[in-house]
Amino acid sequence: MGPLIPNGIIGGGWDFVIAILIGVAFGFILEASGFSSSRNLAGVFYGYNFVVLRVFFTALIVAMVGLMYFDYVGWLNLSQIFVLPTFLTPMIVGGVIMGVGFVIGGFCPGTSFTGIAIGKLDAVFFAIGLYLGIFGFSLAFPLFEDFFTSGDMGNVTLMDITGIPASYFAVAFTVMALAAFWGTMFIEKRVRKNMKQYKF
Amino acid sequence: MSSDKTNIQEPKYINPYLGGVLLGLLIIVTVFITGRGLGASGAIKSAVVTTSNTIAPKATEANTYMCQFIGGDHSPMWTWLVFESLGVLLGGIISGIVFGRMKKFRTDHGPRITSKKRLVLALIGGALFGLGSQFGRGCTSGAALSGTATFALGGVIVMFAIFGTGYAVAYFFRKFWI
Amino acid sequence: MNRNYIFLTILMLVLAVGTLFLTGSDEPKQIAPEELLQEIIQPTRYVSTDQVAKMIIQGDPSLLMVDVRPAADYEEYALPGSLNIPLEELLNDGNLGYFGVPGVKVVFISNDDIAADQTWVLTKRLGIDGTYVMKGGLNCWMQTIIDPTQPDADAPSVDHELYAFRKGAQIYFTGAESATPEGDNVEVQVRRREKTSVAAGGC
Repeated sequence: MGPLIPNGIIGGGWDFVIAILIGVAFGFILEASGFSSSRNLAGVFYGYNFVVLRVFFTALIVAMVGLMYFDYVGWLNLSQIFVLPTFLTPMIVGGVIMGVGFVIGGFCPGTSFTGIAIGKLDAVFFAIGLYLGIFGFSLAFPLFEDFFTSGDMGNVTLMDITGIPASYFAVAFTVMALAAFWGTMFIEKRVRKNMKQYKF
Repeated sequence: MSSDKTNIQEPKYINPYLGGVLLGLLIIVTVFITGRGLGASGAIKSAVVTTSNTIAPKATEANTYMCQFIGGDHSPMWTWLVFESLGVLLGGIISGIVFGRMKKFRTDHGPRITSKKRLVLALIGGALFGLGSQFGRGCTSGAALSGTATFALGGVIVMFAIFGTGYAVAYFFRKFWI
Repeated sequence: MNRNYIFLTILMLVLAVGTLFLTGSDEPKQIAPEELLQEIIQPTRYVSTDQVAKMIIQGDPSLLMVDVRPAADYEEYALPGSLNIPLEELLNDGNLGYFGVPGVKVVFISNDDIAADQTWVLTKRLGIDGTYVMKGGLNCWMQTIIDPTQPDADAPSVDHELYAFRKGAQIYFTGAESATPEGDNVEVQVRRREKTSVAAGGC
């Protein structure tokens, strides 16, 4: 059956309507979980608020396990979905830069939208920063054009690289996530001792 | 858990695990319907390309990066991600209304810095993040979360790079937050 | 609070470990035996040698002839434009991609039509449509096209028309055969089924 739109089960005209609806759900979940506030987001790096870890990792393992079951019952054909292409070195570099930007800026693009939605000025400035950053990237592109496309490994999945079946990865991530959840519960109790407020 | 002595009203948030489960289900639904995951930074990229194209179309075409995204008879804003991001804004507004967080403009900042400094830092952080997102082919939502959920190697790389670096440099920026 | 979390943790672990036991979808999907039986008893899968000859002469682009005999037989003689997939190699990687392409009529050909019929049943079982069997196979081809028998003078005119057609076809095929170069087969126009549509995406 799935994915529905690429298989023509839902007409292409609905594409953007569905996009908006999905976005609304996404934004609601993010904001309701507290991702619209930069101090909550930064908390994961300082041990006083692990909401990022909890939401992110839970979503990850639920999605992984869920997709496997969907594939098994035939509702979804995993070979037809978009797999992010891998450009080894640029992606590592990009991730590092994003990590620094995350800690300094306190947001990521999706969460900054929810921040803007409820009136957080720092989210607005973050989004402006995003704009400038991408614009600057485009202007400077000729400098690192070759680097940008280096390390192209194609749309490769974890299974392709290691030959280990997907379910093993699902279990591995689940175990890691669950361990992290229980572990951070203890860390929080200790870090928060001197903080009056840690949900912002 | 607000103490009685301080009158800090802590905002109401849903249980993070519940949020995570809902988000995970949303990713499944999104992949099921559209064959792709979520995303966010792509919308800003489209905005950059569109504004650049409107103001200086020739220069935009000449730019080797941006020229890939123009062309055809529709504006570069006419992409799935842009509409999804508009939805994110809407969803945030709805949630803000439901949980009573729609207030006048305000800035979150750590106790040791001023609002002004925070805004400057947000700008710098955003610029860095924007730059990195292009190399990473996505941000935390698109590459790290959706990518890893679909077992893409690139997603895992980006995820570990972002959070690993975050933890590594957090100490140097601690004054901004705690 | 903690008890709920313990329960959820266990639930998540169970679900995740459960994925280990999901058998992969490596086996090709097959249609139910009842469906297969229905398809088998209908004679609609047969096409006559005359029909095949006509499609070749007209250059019908929807025709794809698949010769399921061993490669040696194929080298010795084969219909122009036919593709050789020996029956034993039917399930090899990529060969199934030739079948089930929308708009393409695949006609299986063998010496008599037994091997071709077996191939048809196999592909039908895999749920592939658009497949046919040339009735009588190449033996029948020889008797009808290459060396047609002239009907008696008092046979109905339909028979005479058919004979005339077959004579024309004979000239086409035996005359055309000598024109084709030795060794290499005629350029086969095949359209493989496109790799199933992959969704586009991005950041």
